[in-house]
Amino acid sequence: MKPQSEKFLKEIQDANADVRFGAWTRTGEMDPEVIPELAKLLTTAAPGVRRAAEEALKNMVHAVGKDPAAAKCAPVVGQFIALTADGHPTWVRTIALRHLSLIGGDETVPAAAKLLRNAELQEEAVFCLERIPGHAATQALMAALPDVSDAFKPRVLAALGHRRADEAADVCARALLSPNLDVSVAAVKAIGRIGKKPSGDIKLPKEDSLSEWQKTEFADSVLRYAEGQVERGNADEAVKIYKDVLQRPQEHLQCAALIGLGKANTPQAAALIFTRLHDRNRTVRITAGKVWTAMAKNA
Amino acid sequence: MKPSRRTFISSTTAAGACLFDIVPSTVFAQPAPSDRINLGHIGIGGRGRGFLRPESAPLTKPNPNLGGSIPDRIQVPARSVALCDVDSERLDKAATMVGGRPKTYKDFRRLLEDKDVDAVFIASPDHWHALMMIMACEAGKDVYVEKPACLTIEEGRAMIRAAGRYGRVVQVGSQGRSQPAAYHACAYIRNGQIGTVQKVACWHYASPTGDWTPDSAPPPNLDYDAWLGPARWIPYNVKHTHGQFRWLLDFGGGQIRDRGAHIMSIAQWIMQADNTGPVSIDGRGEPPHDGMWDAAARMNIVYEFKNPDWTLIWAQPGETSAELPERYGAIYYGDKGRLTVTKGDGQDTRTEPQAMAYDVPCGGVEVFKSPGHAENFFDCIKTREKPVMHIEAGVRAAHLCILGNLSYALGRRFEWDPVNECIANDDEANRLLSRPGRGVWNL
Repeated sequence: MKPQSEKFLKEIQDANADVRFGAWTRTGEMDPEVIPELAKLLTTAAPGVRRAAEEALKNMVHAVGKDPAAAKCAPVVGQFIALTADGHPTWVRTIALRHLSLIGGDETVPAAAKLLRNAELQEEAVFCLERIPGHAATQALMAALPDVSDAFKPRVLAALGHRRADEAADVCARALLSPNLDVSVAAVKAIGRIGKKPSGDIKLPKEDSLSEWQKTEFADSVLRYAEGQVERGNADEAVKIYKDVLQRPQEHLQCAALIGLGKANTPQAAALIFTRLHDRNRTVRITAGKVWTAMAKNA
Repeated sequence: MKPSRRTFISSTTAAGACLFDIVPSTVFAQPAPSDRINLGHIGIGGRGRGFLRPESAPLTKPNPNLGGSIPDRIQVPARSVALCDVDSERLDKAATMVGGRPKTYKDFRRLLEDKDVDAVFIASPDHWHALMMIMACEAGKDVYVEKPACLTIEEGRAMIRAAGRYGRVVQVGSQGRSQPAAYHACAYIRNGQIGTVQKVACWHYASPTGDWTPDSAPPPNLDYDAWLGPARWIPYNVKHTHGQFRWLLDFGGGQIRDRGAHIMSIAQWIMQADNTGPVSIDGRGEPPHDGMWDAAARMNIVYEFKNPDWTLIWAQPGETSAELPERYGAIYYGDKGRLTVTKGDGQDTRTEPQAMAYDVPCGGVEVFKSPGHAENFFDCIKTREKPVMHIEAGVRAAHLCILGNLSYALGRRFEWDPVNECIANDDEANRLLSRPGRGVWNL
């Protein structure tokens, strides 16, 4: 180890908080070889040293995070990937995954994906993969979905939905077939967020089999999906959905349908909105009026 | 296909319609004043308790804790009918305060399913604001959500979309805008009394530095997993949770988020910057050298705005106003003078006498005068208009806090695109604009 690295690590463990602070603020200048030693200090009994090590690792990440192509980034990422391996304390592996979520790229994906089936670390692994941009991380999440437990499938589906990964739409559609309602509703939510129509026929869970909250999530996902159709230029598909939602008894869903129809901005949408300008429900009536006026301004 | 004016008219004529400019007046009819609003409360610790409307409360009593009031105005009838907290002690205490028989819940989703609840007050810790507000909109509730609105840029975007998707009324709890002094300062400055404002300098005392308290098992009255919700897991510590979460970057974010969301929201209002943001942020600061909290004890953030060009400074601590030497506030520097506005939260907001005495002249720039922050929210529930601190404004104010903390934490200046909400040439900073949720708690 380089002498300056040794001096730095000594200062990180100093009894004086100001000395520790002085050391952690210059971590970015250090060689990545200090990372494994700092990781060991994450589980030390002395809280001040533990904190100094945590802050130092953060600063190391921040020092290379701006530009993933910078020369020092790859060695730092490499050190953190090594810390995710078996044999390190769970907390160290957790912290490594959290840091890799900020600076990791495709090279990080296999190590994180391996942990999607580790009950202790799967939540941290999916957190890490969810943030890493690119096709490889999406593929890893898609590949893991059939194998992970039913209890964890909703989390993986949420990650795919959050990434708005078009390529995941069919995988999510297959998850709709799960007899476990938590999984099938999570799949509905993911498809709603992705906004792309799956390639085959889809089988949605029966609404009357859902809990009250699952019904709320289901309706919200339908609305998000319809928004996605508008954004993708498929306004007619969206209008069909909004027309259906407009028939529901809940005031806020009727309002949402009217607002969505306003965004769809087609002649059929305008006709549907018009029918609600005299609605008996005051909030629906006001919403219809506002949407109507906005559409008229844009016409 | 977007309808042209011609097809728009013909389509609606086919539906038995005529021109859109003859919308019946009943569409925008005024509400019946006797309508009572049933409130649900999520998070009823120190802040949340201030929102409770007990069964026995007189309707004419203004609530100064909610930010300004017009004393002779009769309050909109609103009553607390449902309460939720993950701490059973707090829940029991609030139920006693409310009196009558409020429904109590530990899971906020059950409260949101309650069809008797018209609107909710959300006063949970910051890391819960976004999800609770979004889910409340999904359940059809109007929402008063505490400030700062969101913890990440992505959360803010999702909140705006949710409110817009369902047409819900959302008021963010930066109640300074409803304070009479802020109204007077806004009218004074917007009418050019200090000329063109080039700089707004906020000051606030430093964040606390704390000490070491050992981690422990959570107390039996607290569902710690529910308290954490979407946040990354950390061991329970009494100094990470109720009231003290503010001093951790992952949960609260320090004074810049707690009070900054008030002081800077007024600046944003006065400067008419609710629909824009800074183009660069340069943050520097120092965390506590020791102890369990990591939010900046001292910091200095410089935000540059363009078109019009002006600078916003958050200094902790900064230079106190000589005219109104309070513990926190902001000085507005114009090319013809300057004006101090202090505080801006639920405390006594003040400004200088010349602004308080100022009357907007005929033809001058009128400024909305809020009847009180909660009252304005209740009014808007009836009218379906946007409240004074609507969600877009709340999110923009939170952006200032988030971006300031981000620049401080990363130790570097960056350029912000307020339209596309991204940072130029900084991969890590852009990843930090969102944070995946934990377990089932995802955007």
